[in-house]
Amino acid sequence: MKRYSTVGKVLSYLLMISFTVLTVVPLVWMILSAFKPHAEIVRHPLMPPLSWYFDNFVLAWTQGHLGIYFLNSIFYSVVATVVTVLLALSGGYALSKFFYRSGKFIYMLYTLGLLITVHSVIVPLFIMETRLGISNTRLGVVLPYIAFGLPFQVFLSTTYIKGIPDSIQESAIIDGANYFQIFWRIIIPVATPIISTMFIYTFLGNWNEFILVLTLTSELSIRSLPVGINSFAGGMSRDYGLQFAALVIGTVPMIIFYLIFRDKIAQGFAAGATKE
Amino acid sequence: MTFSRQKHLSYWAFVLPGLLVFVAIIIFPVVFSLSLSFTTWKGYGSPTFIGMENYAKIFADSVFLHSLRNNLLIVAISVFGQIPLGFLLAFLLYRKVVRHGAFYQTMIFLPITISPVVVALLWNQIFSSSGIIVTIVRAATKNPQYVMEIFEDKSLAIVPILFVLLWMHTGTYMIIYYANLQKMTPSVLEAAQLDGASEGQMFAHIILPSMVGTIATTAIFAISGSLKAFDLIYAMTGGGPAHFTEVIAIYMYVNTFKYYKYGFGSAVSIVIVVLAVGLILLLQYISGKIERKFE
Repeated sequence: MKRYSTVGKVLSYLLMISFTVLTVVPLVWMILSAFKPHAEIVRHPLMPPLSWYFDNFVLAWTQGHLGIYFLNSIFYSVVATVVTVLLALSGGYALSKFFYRSGKFIYMLYTLGLLITVHSVIVPLFIMETRLGISNTRLGVVLPYIAFGLPFQVFLSTTYIKGIPDSIQESAIIDGANYFQIFWRIIIPVATPIISTMFIYTFLGNWNEFILVLTLTSELSIRSLPVGINSFAGGMSRDYGLQFAALVIGTVPMIIFYLIFRDKIAQGFAAGATKE
Repeated sequence: MTFSRQKHLSYWAFVLPGLLVFVAIIIFPVVFSLSLSFTTWKGYGSPTFIGMENYAKIFADSVFLHSLRNNLLIVAISVFGQIPLGFLLAFLLYRKVVRHGAFYQTMIFLPITISPVVVALLWNQIFSSSGIIVTIVRAATKNPQYVMEIFEDKSLAIVPILFVLLWMHTGTYMIIYYANLQKMTPSVLEAAQLDGASEGQMFAHIILPSMVGTIATTAIFAISGSLKAFDLIYAMTGGGPAHFTEVIAIYMYVNTFKYYKYGFGSAVSIVIVVLAVGLILLLQYISGKIERKFE
């Protein structure tokens, strides 16, 4: 069956291929350049490395303190993600299965939160954290991560849990279960598909977060990978080899993460724009 | 303890922990920010009330107006660039116009995982004098002195950034539309095809109308996302040279954390929120009209 003209097909392939090339070529170039010393990058920008030069990675990792940044990134992403998802699930359960009037108002408040950007609170947040003495602490980073993760995650969990039939909860209550048992033994197991989407989506956002760590921390020992990589840009080093190595260290784990969880990440993005 | 009391307590136990964090870190600071925006404050001592003076200063500042223009260009590239391109790609994948669709989909969506900071530094390298573009142009034109001058031009310096934003986000829209297209009932399209409808007719009369809601929702994301554009530009140019690529979020950041003008910075962030809400209301008005037209 021929549904498309040859011209249409050629144009379609052209579009697909150019987008793919635009993604692949910069990344391959970045990885190849990371194995070249600075002088070779400047002299032969497009050539593959003459020999595989690993010193860039060693130097970037040690001089750029990427080890500390990497561990901090893992800490922030894991802790904030676990807490966000737990709070969003319990909140979503309360807002979808208890039918109190205050629930509607709270849900509306969270929806409003979707519109508020980090920038509109960063000044007061910085002042508040300084006054409370939690600026420059890990707690001071994790708390805003949780707060900014919540609105969208509450939205995801509430819509999903709403779809679980009420009758399951009612029969559990007749059997003598309390609400915490229902939450742990019924809601959480049934909601597993959305929970994994929530986890991966939140983790990705936390891992790449930049402005909060940049403003709320100033000590190297508690900053995260994006801030660490950014310091390769200007003053710290004009060595392109180091810069490329830092970029590879920041990118490759996420590409692997992406290739494993691609469908879940896609679901997270798609769920956000679903019109009810 | 009565049953309804137990229910009530459980409800608050479930909802309160998250709500407290959310209110303390987002709702309270927004209110705080709004009140700070009417004051002048250096971060110590007590704030002095100055009424609307900050807002008047903002709109009289040519740096702010240039930043606003850059932000509106970013809104334009997402609404008129990323969204239509993302939709077209999703449509081609959904109608299986190209083979190996899953491969293209994986590749085009990939930039979403990369941190904006990494994207910024990577493209800076690509645009640099030892980067891909300059090297190719030098080889092609046999002019070894060629450099990209676009960054030195006040009105065009933002263009490469717009391109990188397009590169970063088009895949996201593609994924969103693709997922929503798959929710359509295939029988409608099959019936239309049996009736002899062309691919173009199906696109214009069935697929596009059913996606108006999704497109409107994504446009809301696009607008609020565009107005808070910060990470990528901060890491790419820092707003420079000479404020050419500055956006409102960077303008706010510099005024607050470099010049310690907390009241002024708060006023700028309130302007961002008001702009976002205004543009979104405008969009809902327009998309409401379009939806009614299709019914």
